[in-house]
Amino acid sequence: MTILYALTAAAIMGAALYMILSRNMIRILLGLALLSTGVNLMIFLAGDFSSRQPPLIREGQQVLDEAADPLAQALILTAIVIGFALTVVLATIVMRGWRATGSLDVRRPDAPEQPDDPELRGPDAD
Amino acid sequence: MLMLLVLALIAACLVPLVARVVGKGAGLIVAVVPFALLGAFVAFASIVERGWVRSEGWRWAPSLGLDLTFRLDGFSFLFCLLITGIGGLVTIYSGGYLTDKPRHERSRFLTLILLFMVAMLGTVLAENMLLMILFWEATSVLSFLLIGFDSRSPRSRRAAIMALQVTAGGGLALIAATAMIGQVLGTYSMAEAVRRGPELLASNWGAPIVACIMIAAFTKSAQFPFHFWLPNAMQAPTPASAYLHSATMVKLGIYLLARFEPVIAGTAWGRNTLIIVACITMLVAALQALRAESFKSALAYSTIASLGILVLLVGLDGPAASVAMIGFLLAHALYKAALFFCAGSVLHATGTGTLRALGGLRRTLPFTALACTLASLSMAGIPPFLGFISKEFLFEAQLESSWELAPLAVAVLVNAVMVGVAGVITLRPFFLAPQSEVRIEHGESFSLVAPPLLLALAGLVISLEPDWITRVAIRPAVAAVFGRPVAVDVAVWHGPTPMLALSAVVVAIGAAIVIWWRPLHVVLRRHAPIEQFGLERLWERSVRATLRLSAGLTARVEHGDLSGYLATAIAGFVTLVVWALWQAGAPLRLPGDDPVRLAEAAVALVGVAGALAAARARNLLAAMIAVGLTGFAVAITFMLNGAPDLSITQFTVEALIVVLLTALLLVVPLDAPTTRERSRRVGHMAIAASFAAVMFVVMLDMAGATNATPAADWFGRMSYVAGKGHNVVNVILVDFRGFDTLGETSVIAVAALLGASLLHARTRPDPVAARSVHFSFHAASRPLFWLLLAASVVILWRGHDQPGGGFVGGLVAALAFAVLSLARGVGEAARALRSSPVMLVAIGLGLAVASGLPSMIGGAPFLTHLWWEPGGGLPKLGTTILFDLGVYAVVLGAVLTFLFGLQREAAR
Repeated sequence: MTILYALTAAAIMGAALYMILSRNMIRILLGLALLSTGVNLMIFLAGDFSSRQPPLIREGQQVLDEAADPLAQALILTAIVIGFALTVVLATIVMRGWRATGSLDVRRPDAPEQPDDPELRGPDAD
Repeated sequence: MLMLLVLALIAACLVPLVARVVGKGAGLIVAVVPFALLGAFVAFASIVERGWVRSEGWRWAPSLGLDLTFRLDGFSFLFCLLITGIGGLVTIYSGGYLTDKPRHERSRFLTLILLFMVAMLGTVLAENMLLMILFWEATSVLSFLLIGFDSRSPRSRRAAIMALQVTAGGGLALIAATAMIGQVLGTYSMAEAVRRGPELLASNWGAPIVACIMIAAFTKSAQFPFHFWLPNAMQAPTPASAYLHSATMVKLGIYLLARFEPVIAGTAWGRNTLIIVACITMLVAALQALRAESFKSALAYSTIASLGILVLLVGLDGPAASVAMIGFLLAHALYKAALFFCAGSVLHATGTGTLRALGGLRRTLPFTALACTLASLSMAGIPPFLGFISKEFLFEAQLESSWELAPLAVAVLVNAVMVGVAGVITLRPFFLAPQSEVRIEHGESFSLVAPPLLLALAGLVISLEPDWITRVAIRPAVAAVFGRPVAVDVAVWHGPTPMLALSAVVVAIGAAIVIWWRPLHVVLRRHAPIEQFGLERLWERSVRATLRLSAGLTARVEHGDLSGYLATAIAGFVTLVVWALWQAGAPLRLPGDDPVRLAEAAVALVGVAGALAAARARNLLAAMIAVGLTGFAVAITFMLNGAPDLSITQFTVEALIVVLLTALLLVVPLDAPTTRERSRRVGHMAIAASFAAVMFVVMLDMAGATNATPAADWFGRMSYVAGKGHNVVNVILVDFRGFDTLGETSVIAVAALLGASLLHARTRPDPVAARSVHFSFHAASRPLFWLLLAASVVILWRGHDQPGGGFVGGLVAALAFAVLSLARGVGEAARALRSSPVMLVAIGLGLAVASGLPSMIGGAPFLTHLWWEPGGGLPKLGTTILFDLGVYAVVLGAVLTFLFGLQREAAR
């Protein structure tokens, strides 16, 4: 089962990367959301994967019985929320970019480097 | 000596305070600093004249071999006298020369001059070569600043950059030489490097060291083929030209060569190279001096010729060469600085620097004319001036050295041209009749007249009364350069000698040059055998080609296409991981036997299918739904594997993403045709597939390595005992790793601020009414809103013991508002909040921080949570509730910031 999950996570990350390599900003954004899902699954696999019991201490008991890895879950929980925030911030930027330029293409959105910079030519020797 | 340097540095930094207040007399006041230093150095004369050396040293950075060690011997002493003495006169002169400039420019100039003086003194006093390099480079930088002083003029800027490129390039060679010396000898002491010269030469690095030292010296002292920067450097204000580009800085190359003369002489080619380079430089400079049209450029080329003579004298062997070198160094500094002052006064007075346009200035500038005449006589080597004595030494050195006569012939010719130049620059502007009327803008002033007169007279006084200067400066300097004391006889009359005859020949040819200067000048300007700007053009072209190359390379590497960057980065990452795995060589660990469960496998396959569909989708809406599908599949996977917290969080997040991204997708075109060519897509597929494959292998190994994790066990054992919570995940978040969570909450708060500013309500407060929705949704929205809100509070409250908590609670509450805004419009949802979302974020962050404070009263660390268990059926209460409530509010506020902002923006 672990191998199957590893395969799943790898496939999700690969597909996400393929989307991120696109030049359409929304596809990149969706790819990032997908990537964070895949990475979360990967962190889950990194934890102790032997038990399928939730890490809840039973009523009347002091310590946790055999259960899933609580540490990995705590990490993933915040990662989900942070990944969500990242996606949303990106969506906002894409929205503003679309409003400002009417383009979703990431190629040279502002072209900051002018190829014919006059400083590069310099004055001719007199 | 360090104290003197530090005091001078402080004084230089204080100059602006004085010069901005005082105004025109600033030069005279600031000149106190160099003259005080001159006095301080003269006090060392009693040490130096005995042939002793004064050393000082402090440790600075011993691990680098960089120590503050200084050494004053006869040679440095002579330099110090010249630097401080001429420095004082330059300061006085600058005060008079820059009368037209605004105060802040004058103060900047004086500051730079004093800083330069400190750098120069540091260079000649430093014993540690790394320390010397620091000062050496400082002189290059200050020279750059002074040449480019008139920063609005493109010519000045170009000249300044050229000078910096050449001299700092030479500085790099010096650094290389020093590094090699340090490698070979294990010390950066200059004295030791010279003493252990044979050891240096015996190593593999001997020839490169000598070559690098020569390159450094040739660039600084403007020797062929690096001489072209110096005439251009005349763009500097004239006092700076007099000081840097004639009297002091350009002699640093000579200083370096003279210091390392024993090492250079140890190679078979060292002396020959020096002499050949010097002769070429002298000839080129002499020719160009005759072609020069302006006062200052004639002086500049004659300076290059003089520097050539000095290099030649370093190259020649025998004690007479050292004597001649020191004598000429002194004489040249005195007369050339005076002549530059005169050139500056003429330029200042008439506004023109072209020799042919000038004439008859002796009536309007009588003292300048006198100073110029005296200095020129010294330059021409007419007895009884110091120049005559130094020329006698020069010829004596050449006759006595083991060299053939070719350098002698060059020296005679070049000296004759010097006589000619000296004659022309005195007669033409001051004594010959002007071709047209010369307008005088400024007369003479004390500050403009005293410095050149003093220097010119010094040239006369020293030759007539040479005892003191010979005893304290010349003889110790010669001894320091030659390595042992040499008898030095400074006198005007030595009787009839071969040198006298040579002097007579020189003066005769020089007189002829003066007489026929005009036709000679015209002919040379018409047919230039050596093109004046040839090397300069070559240099400029190579600099421009380098810039073009760099621009082209940058354009290729920084092409501005994000996709290309990412592809390169990921491909590099994959290669590195594969290489690392290959290098590790260990067999792959595999996870333990773990039977495939059908339901879970089906869910996982749905996730994979969603991801692949998202990657293939042409329509963005389809892609979003496919991504959501994967998200839900992973959420179910979490649920099936004992992670209910993650599961509900993921479900809520997926729902919210749909709501938020829909607002975006309403605006942009949904149909997104591919932006990649077929070949590119295939390449990207290969990269993505190899990335996935590498990650798969890594994950297998990682899962195979999994064993009992002590940290997780510890949390499981301590969660209830220390944190009073049954839900271990939640206890980790709010208690054990509370500080981390606080940081993550802050990140979300910052994201909310970013969203608030990006989506600033630039639209009408309540733009449009809600889109028409099905009446059942409209009617059900309010109950659903309250239901979800209530659920979120329950999730928050029970989070400590059951699945739930602040993060999930906040997300569910945001979902409640999302339902309301979808059904009834953003306006109504925003009104239901009764506060701005950003305010909610602020309150939440404040609560989370405040929850950690009470424990600090008891002396416990921040975020140690306190508990109160009243018992008797009442629930236990702890500060974690406050913390979780803060997280809840931050998450809710942040999501709502984006939700309302994006929906408003979409409705525009």
